[in-house]
Amino acid sequence: MTAARRTVAPPTRLLGGRIPYIEAPLKVTGRAEYTDDLKRPGMLLARLLRSPYAHARIRSLDVAAARSMPGVHAVLTGDRYPTPFGVLPITHDETALAVGKVRYLGDIVAAVAADDELSADRALRAIRVDYEPLAEHVDPRVGLQRVDEPIHARGLNGSNVQKEVAQHFGDVDAALARARAQVHLRATFAGVTHAFTEPQVTIAEATPDGRLTVWSATQVPHYLHRALSEVLGWPLHRIRVIKPEVGGGFGGKSDPLPHEIVCAALAIETGRPVKLLFDREEVFLTNHGRHPVQNEVTIAADAEGRISAFDIQALIEGGAWSSFGTVTTYYNGVLSMGPYRVPNFRYHGRRVYTNRPPNGAMRAHGGTNLRYTVELAMDLLAEQLGVDPIDLRRRNALAPHSTTVNQFRITSTSFKQCLDAVESRSGWREKFRRLPYGRGIGLGAGFYISGSNSPIHFSPRMPQSTVHLKVDMDGGIAVHSMQADIGQGSSTLLAAIVAEVLGVDLERVHVVRVDSDVSPIDIGSYSSRVTFMMGNAARQAAEHLVEQLLHAAGELTGYPEDELVVAHERYQVGHRPEIGVSFLEALHKAIERSGALVATGAYTGPPMGGTFKGSRAGTSPAYSFAAYIAEVEVDVETGLFDVEKVWAAFDCGRPLNRLAVEGQIEGSIHMALGQFLGETMSYRGPRLMNPSLLEYKIPTPQQMPEVEVLLVGEDDPEGPFGAKEAGEGPLVATMPAVANALYDAVGVRFTDLPVTPDKVLKGIDARRSAGAGWKGTR
Amino acid sequence: MHLDPFELHRPRSVDELFRLSERLGPEGFDLLSGGTDLLPNYKMHLNVRPHLVALWDIAELQGHQEGRLGAMARLADLEADPDLRHAYPAVHEAASLVATPLVRASATVGGNLLVETRCFFFNQSLPWRESLGYCLKADGDRCHVVPQRERCYATFSGDLAPALAVVDAEVELAGPRGRRRTPVLNLYDTGGDGIRRHHLAPGEVVVAVHLPEATRGLASTYAKLRVRPSFDFPELGVAALLALHDGRIQRLRLAIGGLETHPRRFDELTDPLEGELWSAERAVTLAEEVRKAVRPVHNTFLPPDYRKRMTAVFVRRALTTLAERGAAASA
Repeated sequence: MTAARRTVAPPTRLLGGRIPYIEAPLKVTGRAEYTDDLKRPGMLLARLLRSPYAHARIRSLDVAAARSMPGVHAVLTGDRYPTPFGVLPITHDETALAVGKVRYLGDIVAAVAADDELSADRALRAIRVDYEPLAEHVDPRVGLQRVDEPIHARGLNGSNVQKEVAQHFGDVDAALARARAQVHLRATFAGVTHAFTEPQVTIAEATPDGRLTVWSATQVPHYLHRALSEVLGWPLHRIRVIKPEVGGGFGGKSDPLPHEIVCAALAIETGRPVKLLFDREEVFLTNHGRHPVQNEVTIAADAEGRISAFDIQALIEGGAWSSFGTVTTYYNGVLSMGPYRVPNFRYHGRRVYTNRPPNGAMRAHGGTNLRYTVELAMDLLAEQLGVDPIDLRRRNALAPHSTTVNQFRITSTSFKQCLDAVESRSGWREKFRRLPYGRGIGLGAGFYISGSNSPIHFSPRMPQSTVHLKVDMDGGIAVHSMQADIGQGSSTLLAAIVAEVLGVDLERVHVVRVDSDVSPIDIGSYSSRVTFMMGNAARQAAEHLVEQLLHAAGELTGYPEDELVVAHERYQVGHRPEIGVSFLEALHKAIERSGALVATGAYTGPPMGGTFKGSRAGTSPAYSFAAYIAEVEVDVETGLFDVEKVWAAFDCGRPLNRLAVEGQIEGSIHMALGQFLGETMSYRGPRLMNPSLLEYKIPTPQQMPEVEVLLVGEDDPEGPFGAKEAGEGPLVATMPAVANALYDAVGVRFTDLPVTPDKVLKGIDARRSAGAGWKGTR
Repeated sequence: MHLDPFELHRPRSVDELFRLSERLGPEGFDLLSGGTDLLPNYKMHLNVRPHLVALWDIAELQGHQEGRLGAMARLADLEADPDLRHAYPAVHEAASLVATPLVRASATVGGNLLVETRCFFFNQSLPWRESLGYCLKADGDRCHVVPQRERCYATFSGDLAPALAVVDAEVELAGPRGRRRTPVLNLYDTGGDGIRRHHLAPGEVVVAVHLPEATRGLASTYAKLRVRPSFDFPELGVAALLALHDGRIQRLRLAIGGLETHPRRFDELTDPLEGELWSAERAVTLAEEVRKAVRPVHNTFLPPDYRKRMTAVFVRRALTTLAERGAAASA
């Protein structure tokens, strides 16, 4: 029986408990090995020359002086490796270094490898570039039309539009005409960035045996592997990609990035190991963060509040490159229906290039900003209909095992249980619209994919995740997989699943560092796919291994295999537990037959989705659901406010590591609050004004609310042991819950993010001057 | 982002410091205390000098005792001092609200008084500034905040100065020509171009800050506006001191920082009120007058009109709190 067909999860020993990360002792003692900790003999340092113009043609580039400077080993320019690449095969519009033209302030123009940083920086200053400045494009609205000098030749019809999506299911106009209630809301979101702890860093080394090894802080070693191969023109099997520990990614390390290719190219050029480590400003300029968006949502409903239509528009600022932008453009529509049943749906989304750092995937990619506007619109609809916002959501909840209007297959959903949990725990009935002016409570709902069902680069019939196990007579189990632990606990989960199935102690399991020479392909940490897909692959591999061990135990005990059960470090007869053999005895017996045991497991997504264009976008083997309630206190004189408490009910199916799930939920709330309270990629024209952790306002611990995590999900039929994702979905309900709480507090809908105190005050002023009182005020 | 090489000097006395200053003057040097502001600025290649003269080994600059804060006293030590909290609450609060615990462990009294002014167009990397065109304050000849070529509008971002100002603190300065003491705000050259911001003679150094007996134990407070409750420099800092006797104003001081190029005290508004009866309306009126007097510009995170408006709220709240505290104490 394969894991995917199992419908009832068995009782578990480790899984479902609180499992500290297996690498935590190394991390907290400073012994974990990150890329920057690695030293190779004779290693050079690389630095990058970045464009001082947002949009310019490169007339000429003179690197002769830089090349001859002391300590300089190589100077690289764009003409050497001009092959375009990008994370999506359909939008290869990036190059390792600028070719002919620069597209944002900070675009990479040249690279130097030198003995030390000082020599490299001096060489950069000796490079002469003659630029012809071009008109700068920073307004996506302007970029919708034909422009002079579009940023890319591939912009639609001479405009800067990178991608346009128009979808219509059912008949939205008819639904709007029939509707008894209708709400419309428009919102604007500044861009935000991941702000992970570890800056991007890569080390590369080309060796005389004709091989290239690249160590990099990446979420997706496999996509990096492919991009290196394509741009450098080396076959995949001569390139080895290693992923050391990674200090956070949140989507920002999921694209193959130009500097990774540049670093490898410099290693090839010099024959020496080369390290390229970003400073914090370069991390900000590399960005690939959450897109700035302007969106509009119209929701139509009948008199009882049953939703009859969603009509959605999104104008998405892409920055200089495509990155994941085609996916972003779909997600901003298709993920909006979320936890609700929506019979008629229309979406028009456009992503427009600008001369600013590229935007890309960031935690809950494409599902965050539109969710905000939808959830505020739902609050508005509830108010208009005189219905409680929780009841309104209950009435519209997607049914388990249903299909959405755009052909998403919904299996498990515990959305209603989420609503029940936060309603009772928060004291909603006593508080909503009943707290004094300045104090408020609000609800937001969440929905996200549990892994994209489409691997980007190969046929969906090939496995997205493969896990190999090897166990020899020492009794240690080596686990190989290209899953990418970036701090989210996937290595721990991998080990725990294997230990769970085999019945052994966790310490027997060694998760081997990701290394493309030995790790079977897993497409890495993005789209919240790892627990579900790697988890199923790991479970399957471990089940194949335990079959071999049970067979050996059968030989030793004389009982048929199917009467044997897995116990702690032991295989015993189900009805006579005193008869059995230890794990090691069974293992040694099994090794007599074939030598060290090996097993493999894989996960391939089931066929799903419609047949229309873009139908695969947003399809996932499962979806997470959430309902959050936030309580806030506003200082109505300063506009400063405290988010005091968040009740976070989340449906991740069965939580396999509660410690990790709670950490993901708390971390997601922190990250979402950052976007809400003040994090912003602040631009004047094309120029980023705040490329530092001082001026990019990540909330401090004092700003964290008390969080009460409520895990109410039921087992998912296809998830490993019933689990679904918990890495991104926990983010999306946060911002609307806080915004709806602010509305409850002061009667103002905030639709321009971030919601800084000056904006709060303006909102309060506007309501007052309109003469509209709120909860007792005039 | 590399730190350019520099030569580090560690004099053991102020006299040795003066000799060094004279010798290094032509090449250029900076004084180094906690380094929490200077070294990040050096990494951004902001007005880098070839020599750094560290004040770490000069004994008389270290530590703090009753009424005397050494220039090298660490903010964390002030924060941990319960006597300071009772004697000069505003100073204690200001020290406690600077940056983060880690920064306060290194940052010093003198460093905070003389902290470099800040601006979106100044506190940026070399490539960033180069791409826009350098500004008046470093390497350039124009201001990007208020377009003109004469004056720098970078914002004074120390927290201690306004707090020290309301308790009438004095700074002790030592220079090759001798020693002097002067009210703390006299350090700042308010008539200048915003770039040369201090009345320090060549080679002159802050030795200590003296807290007067006359204000010991009086009710004072410091409030700081910023986006995050730690980490951030002030978007506005308001210090106030209020002593009431029989309901009448015995002593009243107001000072602000974080808004303009210099910290500022509002004696012209507060002096005429001495001997007058205190009332809640006074707080409102004063707050409004201070608001009208200040001129923030758009070079910090929060917009200037908001910071100006908050000046009134913060002043009124500070005075109201102090009046209540005073009333409670006398009751």
